[in-house]
Amino acid sequence: MLELLNLEKTFGNFTAVNRINLKINKGELFGFLGPNGAGKTTTIKMIAGLLSPSFGNIYLDGIDIWLKPIESKMKIGYIPDQPFLYDKLTGKEFLYFSGGLYNLSKEVIKNKIDELTEQLKIGSWIDKRSEEYSQGMRQRIVIASSFLHEPELLIVDEPMIGLDPQSAFDVKKMLKEKAKNGTTIFMSTHSLNVVEEICTHVGIINKGNIIFNDTIKVLHNLKDENNHNLEELFIQLTNEE
Amino acid sequence: MKQIAHILKFKIIEFLRLDTKFTFNSIAKSFGSSLIYIVFAAGGFQFVQKLFHFLIIEIKIGLFLLHEFISMILFIFFISVNVGNIIVSYSTLYKSNEINFFFTKPILPARIFAIKFLDNFFYSSSTLIMMLFSLLAGYVVYFKLSVGAFLLLVLNFIPLMFSAASLGVIILLLIIRSASRFGIKRIIYCLGSLYFLIIVFFFNLNSPKMLVTTVLRYYPFVSKDLYLGDLIPPLIKFLPNNWFAQSAYWLVRGDISFSLAYLLLQLVLSLLLFSAAIYLGHRWYFKTWLLNAKLNADFVSKRKESKSFFYFENKSFLKPQTESILKRDLLMFLREPSQYIHFLVLFFLIGIFIFSVSGIKFVGLGNYNLQTIIYLSLFLFNLLFISTLSLRFIFPLISLEGQAYWKMKSSPVQNNLFLRNKIVILGSFILLSALCLSFFSTYRFGTVLTAFSALISILAAITIISINFGMGGLYTNFKEKNAIRLSSSQGASLSFLINIVYMLFIVLVLYKPLSGLFLSIMTNQTFTSTTFYWSLIPIGIPSLILIITFLKIAADSIKKDF
Repeated sequence: MLELLNLEKTFGNFTAVNRINLKINKGELFGFLGPNGAGKTTTIKMIAGLLSPSFGNIYLDGIDIWLKPIESKMKIGYIPDQPFLYDKLTGKEFLYFSGGLYNLSKEVIKNKIDELTEQLKIGSWIDKRSEEYSQGMRQRIVIASSFLHEPELLIVDEPMIGLDPQSAFDVKKMLKEKAKNGTTIFMSTHSLNVVEEICTHVGIINKGNIIFNDTIKVLHNLKDENNHNLEELFIQLTNEE
Repeated sequence: MKQIAHILKFKIIEFLRLDTKFTFNSIAKSFGSSLIYIVFAAGGFQFVQKLFHFLIIEIKIGLFLLHEFISMILFIFFISVNVGNIIVSYSTLYKSNEINFFFTKPILPARIFAIKFLDNFFYSSSTLIMMLFSLLAGYVVYFKLSVGAFLLLVLNFIPLMFSAASLGVIILLLIIRSASRFGIKRIIYCLGSLYFLIIVFFFNLNSPKMLVTTVLRYYPFVSKDLYLGDLIPPLIKFLPNNWFAQSAYWLVRGDISFSLAYLLLQLVLSLLLFSAAIYLGHRWYFKTWLLNAKLNADFVSKRKESKSFFYFENKSFLKPQTESILKRDLLMFLREPSQYIHFLVLFFLIGIFIFSVSGIKFVGLGNYNLQTIIYLSLFLFNLLFISTLSLRFIFPLISLEGQAYWKMKSSPVQNNLFLRNKIVILGSFILLSALCLSFFSTYRFGTVLTAFSALISILAAITIISINFGMGGLYTNFKEKNAIRLSSSQGASLSFLINIVYMLFIVLVLYKPLSGLFLSIMTNQTFTSTTFYWSLIPIGIPSLILIITFLKIAADSIKKDF
């Protein structure tokens, strides 16, 4: 489904992502972990089309997403770490705007908005301008916008920031359901609990290099072998590098 | 004072660091910018001298009239800086995140006010001041004045701008204080009407036409260089723009004491207005900041989104992507007061200009050279309007995508479609304005000239729009939400300089064929319009090159990493 091949991103002399290789299959919920500045957001931005790779390729269903960006982006949903919206538009207008960008018809957008309003509990303020929203409200609108076109690949950067416990619970439930229904999810997070709870596969990046890439089961085994909890194991792995 | 200096120090460091990346692109950009500044400085320097030579030697308007015209131009300049400062200060003093940060720190509000006011003034005016230097240098060299005279003129002009800015911020404080009692809309409408009346009153009192007629009544019995101070209406004598013009006039006449007296008045006024602004800032700034927050909260709680014509749920014949981008941009424009108010004001000014020039008939004045100059001056004015509109509304377009640009970048939208839709609405308005300006200022010259003007105007407008679009892309700043600050940034100033160079190029190329046309009309000779249209080629080719280059720059800018 998604394959990163020798992917590299440099900013001047600094290498943010150092020729990493990853393969994520359909329906997997891949947790992408790493300390601050490890290269998580840079990797995600390259997949989403916001940063161009300095080297290497990103394939989605065998298609290089930087060679066929429009075709690839039709299949991708992206939730950024900072949920910036257009201040002067309401949440609903933003959703209609987003749907239009994916060439969805008005009817489809309307039905999806109704469905997502229910799931994400955004109905009471969806008609207010987003300049009035809290971080959590913005985040829920962004999440809704990424689900509108039913993407095959969902790229999520820190999805739980700003969400209250109920919303975080709802989002986790949605992500699990989506993965179960065949959506591939690439999720970067700092929350180890979330990874333990919902991810099927885990990758750890440190200083631009992948230092762990396997199933959550293998990670649990490693944790048990070392007699650590996940937090201690993560610190140990990232400090070893 | 130590705290203010500390904050200013870090602001300067931040400002300098923005442009000190030593990559090939940044060096090329800096080199290009410097080159344009130099070209403009040299051009401005030469232009002032040629213009003065023409006005004083060819047209023989005399020193007095020349300085009265300078005074009138400076009045408009003063009002522009003043109004611009009210708008920009509102966003920097009341809406910026930096202010919210400062208010959480142990800093006196009066100090925050002073810092932001100075930051605002120098940020928006630095390029203007640099441009001014070359114009003043041209003035000084033309009249063979000393370096000391140049410094005196600079020392006079900066306080003039500073007075306009101080007055702007005082008016802003008054607006917010009064808004709680009378409502913001009422205050804005009253203020807008007041400014309009002031301009009308100024030109009624100080009509250029009346002034010229009165001065010429004395000619040739008295020298037109003679000081005819009695012709200046008493009220005008109290205005700072007049003080600058008078001070410059006496410098040229060699009477330094009179010149210094006007300079002193300028400095005193500037100091008084600045002190008043700081005093009022000390007393009212924090109160008005809270008041503004309350007014905004009240406004937001009462606001109901109307289902307008541009509502997303309405059916549309457009393709979904096009509809999405167009509706988003229109809604955001119509919901941002600084955008639509400025838009209406500028179009209102264009309307007044069209109304004023449409009745003028120039053919048959008896001096073909003068006719050419008048025609070209009008043409230049038209282009200046187009340039102002483009700079204000086209330049910020890409930057106004803002931090939410991630949505656009990660969506399956072709770059060309995105760019086309970004520019189409405002670009069409500007093209339509160019056509109206051209038609109403030239239709009395006959069909050939009207058609020719329309062609050149459209070509020039497309070029100017492309320049501003490309430069806006080259100097994108997604973090700045304020379109006015974007269009007064350094990149925008640079874009304006390119516009000016282009406009002067057109005027220079047109001079010969136009004077030929006016001469043929005067001498009743037949003039072949084919010869006339040939002059389009030297304008057309560079224009096309500029259009392609700057649209390419715009297209490349959206491919950059975000």
